[in-house]
Amino acid sequence: MAISPPTGSRTRFAVLVLASVTLLTVGLRDAPVVREVREGASAVIGPVEGAVDTVTAPVRNAWHGVTDYDDLQRENEELRAQAEAAEAEGVQTSDAERQLAELSASLDLPWAGNVETATARVVSGPRSNFSHAIEIDKGTDDGIAVGMPVVTGAGLVGRVSQATGGSSMVELLTDPEFQVGVRLATTGDLGTARGRGRGDPLSVDSAISPGTKVPKGTGVVTSGVDRSAYPPGIPVGTVASSRQGSGGLALDLDVDPLVDVDQLSYLTVMLWTDGG
Amino acid sequence: MRSRRLTPLRGALVLVVALVAQIAIVADLRVVGAVGDLMLLVTVAAALTGGPDRGVTYGFCAGLVFDLVLDSPFGLSALTYAVVGYGVGLVCGGLFRPTGWWPLAVAAVAALVASAFYTGVGHLIGTPYPWGDLPAIAAAVALWNAALVLPAMAVMRWVHGPTEPDRLEVALR
Repeated sequence: MAISPPTGSRTRFAVLVLASVTLLTVGLRDAPVVREVREGASAVIGPVEGAVDTVTAPVRNAWHGVTDYDDLQRENEELRAQAEAAEAEGVQTSDAERQLAELSASLDLPWAGNVETATARVVSGPRSNFSHAIEIDKGTDDGIAVGMPVVTGAGLVGRVSQATGGSSMVELLTDPEFQVGVRLATTGDLGTARGRGRGDPLSVDSAISPGTKVPKGTGVVTSGVDRSAYPPGIPVGTVASSRQGSGGLALDLDVDPLVDVDQLSYLTVMLWTDGG
Repeated sequence: MRSRRLTPLRGALVLVVALVAQIAIVADLRVVGAVGDLMLLVTVAAALTGGPDRGVTYGFCAGLVFDLVLDSPFGLSALTYAVVGYGVGLVCGGLFRPTGWWPLAVAAVAALVASAFYTGVGHLIGTPYPWGDLPAIAAAVALWNAALVLPAMAVMRWVHGPTEPDRLEVALR
């Protein structure tokens, strides 16, 4: 049996694949037109999504009722929140001690605690298996802009990747395209953390020499180095393991995020842009 | 007598309803840690009922509208679904008629191929989606596809009629 298609089919296939590749190329160049079209689509689909969301809430709740044990889930959330808060406190404390020891350097930096914030509710989670963005119910009307850091009481959640009048998309720190400058809370060693997908630890490329021992559980916070996209001192995670980097010249770290991105209800957007 | 003028409108309606259902309902219903993909389901149903032409057209359009509301690389869904839609239409048109339980198997295999293709192209263009997530994603999408492909094929027959080729199909012949 033959599976060769008619010529017309081949032509259409070639045209549409070429069109897809062209769109992919344009999108990868971060063309403003793509961003604007996506923002426009979000503005249109947002209210419809909200209405359907409300109507179908019982169905989704029933699903979760079947797939989750409500009481266990609630108890888990409470315990997780307590554990995360305690862990974040530990990270912040060790970081504060190091900052005190290093005196004036940090005094000139904007401290995260003084930054104006906006609290937002999570409207929807990632829309596909390959998406790592969630939608929140606050947007440019509340002073939110693209690039602003998003946190919870536990630590860094991600950054605003798209903002319209009444809603925004937040790129989660688990996104493979997410990057943030970090430092170890105990020693101040710098590195860059990258997302590696849902449920996986962040990967940190550091400049730490391979012979150095980095204890498991060491806190990692945003570095806030010059022109960083994030203020300094936001807890990011704790070191899970370390290994020699590919070049053999430095250590690579696996860092467990402090925030559980699957259990987000309310978030805080720091109204802070590059340079304060 | 069916009005062919309504066919594009019906097709667009199906895509919009699938998109809204995907982001407002299905995206919240996790199975084995991943969610279903109604846009891929529409693509596969179109290919099963209309062959490679309809498969690649629906695949491109479904991927494009999905790309509009995602944060992943723009055009990647359109490329993936176009390729999968064409492949499903080609295989089912040339090797066997998708009757009986075959559509369920085809829809499940299409989920695996689409997930692997998306992840692979993601790596090529510098977005390293973890390969470790692939089994769960493929399993969840395959389950959803297999469960819903027969109703989705019925919807496609409502849009196009049992054998009606679309206008572009006719023009290219």
